[in-house]
Amino acid sequence: MNEQRICEFLNQVIGNAGFDLSFQLCRGEIRHPDFENPEVVVKFSGPDVELLLANKGELLLALEQLTMEMLRMRPEEHSLLCFDANDYRMLRIEELRLSAQTAAERVKRSGLPYRFNPMTSRERRIIHLALRNETAVRSESSGVGPNRQVVIYPANMPSLPADGRQAPSPGPAPRRGKRR
Amino acid sequence: MAGMKELVEDIAKALVDIPDQVAVREVQGEQVTVLELRVAPSDLGKVIGKQGRTARSIRTILGAAGMKLNRRFTLEILE
Repeated sequence: MNEQRICEFLNQVIGNAGFDLSFQLCRGEIRHPDFENPEVVVKFSGPDVELLLANKGELLLALEQLTMEMLRMRPEEHSLLCFDANDYRMLRIEELRLSAQTAAERVKRSGLPYRFNPMTSRERRIIHLALRNETAVRSESSGVGPNRQVVIYPANMPSLPADGRQAPSPGPAPRRGKRR
Repeated sequence: MAGMKELVEDIAKALVDIPDQVAVREVQGEQVTVLELRVAPSDLGKVIGKQGRTARSIRTILGAAGMKLNRRFTLEILE
């Protein structure tokens, strides 16, 4: 990975945008080897970290996506680079694993599908991976673009059309986290 | 120093194949500043991205930067 280009690009963007942020490129520490094996982790710090992580890390993910496009990384290479601040991404993996397990249990109990809120491809992948050894339920993504979401079905149930309103009421089960 | 025109210009130049053809025009309104981005026709997909994802990321960065300046910035990608 071209680390110099990452630094140049980010310095340019942060400078022009007036963000009060600094960042450091670190070798990826592999804390969730079954889920993500980043080669490089870009860690941000500074007063604007709060802005970076607002709306579920919207700005952090936007910077990450543009950097990957700039480097012309292919989708299958995307898990090699990870942007993080305050361990947000690391904790998010933990959270997604727990949500996947809780939702799977719920589907087994109720026999009804469970639809997650829309997620990025990277987050959907973590849900699918967390459920890969399950035999009683299966997971699948439906919908397009920013509305694409994971649905967990009982293993023998056919897929529903990709429309959130058609889904059975999800009830008070844990949905997407509120953590920032 | 913050510069929204330079922000969009530099991001676009980093994304496209033909950076020489990147041009940004800034149109100041009362409440909003519109940034019109022009790129080579063959590079349109590079700044828009799959399902508009790249354009959305640029807009997110503009939005966050605008918040710090108390001003709204809109990105228009001209075809």
